[in-house]
Amino acid sequence: MATQSPPSPSSTAGNPPTLAAETSQQATGVQQDGPPEAAEQPISSPSVFVNSEPMREEQVQNAVKFLSHPKVRGSPVIYRRSFLEKKGLTKEEIDEAFRRVPDPPPSAQATSANQAVGQVKSSSSNIQSQAPTQALQPQPAGAAPTAVSPVSTTMMSRFHWYHAVLAVGLLAASGAGTAVFFKKSLIPRLKSWIRKVVLEEEDDSENKSIAKPSLAEEAAAAAKAAAAAASDVAKASQELLNSKNEERRYFSELMNLLDVQLQEMKSMSNSIRKLEGPSNNSGRTSLVNQEDHRDSVTGVKQPYANGKADFDMQSVRSSSPPAPGEPSVAPHPKSYMEIMAMVQRGEKPPNIRDINDLPPNPNQQLPNPRLAPKAKPWEVGQAQNASGQVIQSQVSAEGLNFKVQDNGLNHQSDDDSSVPWWQRKNVKITEVGEDEIKAGPYSVRTNEPPVQRTWVPPQPPPVVMPEAAEAIRRPKPSGPTEQSTSHQLASQTSEVTDELQRITKISEAGGIEEIKGNGSVQNSSEIQEEQETHA
Amino acid sequence: MPVFKTPFNGYSVKFSPFYESRLAVATAQNFGILGNGRVHVLDLSPAAPALTELVAFDTADGVYDLAWSESHDSLLIAAVADGSVKIYDTALPPTANPIRSLHEHTREVHSADYNPTRRDSFITSSWDDTVKLWTVDRPTSVRTFKEHAYCVYNATWNPRHSDVFCSASGDCTLRIWDVREMGSTMIIPAHEFEILACDWNKYDDCLIASASVDKSIKIWDVRNYRVPIAVLNGHGYAVRKVKFSPHRRNLLASCSYDMTVCLWDFMVEDALVGRYDHHTEFAVGVDMSVLVEGLLASTGWDELVYVWQQGMDPRAV
Repeated sequence: MATQSPPSPSSTAGNPPTLAAETSQQATGVQQDGPPEAAEQPISSPSVFVNSEPMREEQVQNAVKFLSHPKVRGSPVIYRRSFLEKKGLTKEEIDEAFRRVPDPPPSAQATSANQAVGQVKSSSSNIQSQAPTQALQPQPAGAAPTAVSPVSTTMMSRFHWYHAVLAVGLLAASGAGTAVFFKKSLIPRLKSWIRKVVLEEEDDSENKSIAKPSLAEEAAAAAKAAAAAASDVAKASQELLNSKNEERRYFSELMNLLDVQLQEMKSMSNSIRKLEGPSNNSGRTSLVNQEDHRDSVTGVKQPYANGKADFDMQSVRSSSPPAPGEPSVAPHPKSYMEIMAMVQRGEKPPNIRDINDLPPNPNQQLPNPRLAPKAKPWEVGQAQNASGQVIQSQVSAEGLNFKVQDNGLNHQSDDDSSVPWWQRKNVKITEVGEDEIKAGPYSVRTNEPPVQRTWVPPQPPPVVMPEAAEAIRRPKPSGPTEQSTSHQLASQTSEVTDELQRITKISEAGGIEEIKGNGSVQNSSEIQEEQETHA
Repeated sequence: MPVFKTPFNGYSVKFSPFYESRLAVATAQNFGILGNGRVHVLDLSPAAPALTELVAFDTADGVYDLAWSESHDSLLIAAVADGSVKIYDTALPPTANPIRSLHEHTREVHSADYNPTRRDSFITSSWDDTVKLWTVDRPTSVRTFKEHAYCVYNATWNPRHSDVFCSASGDCTLRIWDVREMGSTMIIPAHEFEILACDWNKYDDCLIASASVDKSIKIWDVRNYRVPIAVLNGHGYAVRKVKFSPHRRNLLASCSYDMTVCLWDFMVEDALVGRYDHHTEFAVGVDMSVLVEGLLASTGWDELVYVWQQGMDPRAV
């Protein structure tokens, strides 16, 4: 989809007008976008509606950091995606981030395990051969924190286990080392003892005195070795503690960063609220709304939130907890509050009926369309090129449907709807941008009489088929009587309204030739009807 | 200007694309919390400024939205709060209605929109986080679009591209979909709070308006969707519905929980060009007629339906 991006950014930027023009010329309002856009861009679908930006590495990395957080890892995937979408990441960036996230932890675990093993080995070898290997240990210990800290957040929960394992291993190693040392010291002692026993006859006191110092020396050496081992263990544990502290620091830094961001957002929303504060204090806020700050003014779900999470009644809208810190809640009507309270208590409001609204005949045939679909005003400009666009007039008489051919005119052949009251325009309108519209506005709108007089019954409609108008008029005897009373007024305004109508139809249909023909028809039929009402 | 009093709280009003004087109103009892619903088909009597009821259909649960068919002049789609989508034939009496009841959504159906170009299909959006595509003749949905993380409050078709639609959700994103593609083709994180409505510009098929709980309406160009091309502020509370004018490129109407219906011109610095405060409760539904330029209708929780011509006072007699 969006990966086919290279030509589209430039082409879409410059070409939408031509694109629209092309598509408009193509269609009579049906199935427009396939061929022209395929010619424009490599994608057949409307590529304007597709993300065509390349992936942003920075965003992906931020997303990876977010997704690696242990708390985030515990949340459902849909909420993680939703959060990233709200931050403005595209689908591709989010997918890439999800792809990257599971990888680091397993490899980090492996490295840290290796480090632990290495540490144990090095410590044991250190104890066995005292001096030179002491340098080795700080290195692995130093390396371990750096290896572990990048994945500090993920390793936090497991670190304690490893810590324990390490400590145990070290202690065992040092114990083994001291045991080996003791053995080493024991064997010379034994030897010397045997020597002493053998040479006892010859030089008892001398040998004894020599053996004792050597025993003592060796005991002292063993003690020293044990102490060294103990100190090594202490050092190792110390360094582990340090690394743990470092990791804690990193973690707290991360949390701080998040907090800072949160604070910024809160302050921003506060400032926005402050800015809009004065306009909100319309005096309508009630206590209820200020308390129910959790109430969101969202669609219909919000009324049911009301600060509570769930209802027990199945038939009542159950709500989800609204987001915190939302814009001020609109004051709800008092009866609404009453009903909410009733529902929360578990009572059903009294006026509900049991209604069966299932289809009485699920296989009821769809009706045949009585009218052909009309062209939309925004399609009118394009419909000019489309041949045979027949716009049929509408009849809203009860139960009577006529198909009246009309050349782009949109009016009712009802008896008094040439200017139905709803088509009257008020000069007070300050329309903007009157000149740019395709389906043109009434350019002579302001010709309306400036005085807003009491409602005047409109003129008899200019009809194309007077017979149809006749037939419709029969069931409504009240029509003509109204007209006759205010006939004079009506005749005065008739010219103006006729002009309006004609110009209206010119703009609507976009063709002057058509209107001219109809105009004459209208006039003649009007004269006919006026004569009728006279009589 | 005519007023019609509905027995239940109003939720949506839609003009018929076939008959200038016809409109339908969706209502729900007890503010839509719990109760029945009713669909009214009203007619603007050409004689006096009055609204008369042609027919009404009762439903077991509240009706949240309506969509007139673009292919059949008498068919009406209703989005019902019990998760069902009902199709009514307004030419038949209530005893023969509804002619279809499609129950696939698992939660309240919040909006319905009929395809104005292809005229053979419609989409419904629901609180179960999905949008479903249907045709009138099929008993089951054609496709289900499931990506949003929260309720989808609105889904509207692109007025030029017959396969593209946009959805607005409580997860604070707008999503643009193409029915020929597997998933959404574009995600616009439009607001910091829930987005309650969206609508396409009829004259520039790349512009979308989004209305949100944050009281603002933002106009987005999909070709450069990181920054809105306009932010319309002026409503005092959440904006519930937004509708681009079918006749003017820059004009749009909106209704809000601040009980007003506002008209905006998003290309102008001072965008608010009209404000109507005729409602005495949340204004929840607004529509601009496709057949009659400047004709507006609105309904609200005050159980009133107003139809008036732009520039006039809706409450004028």
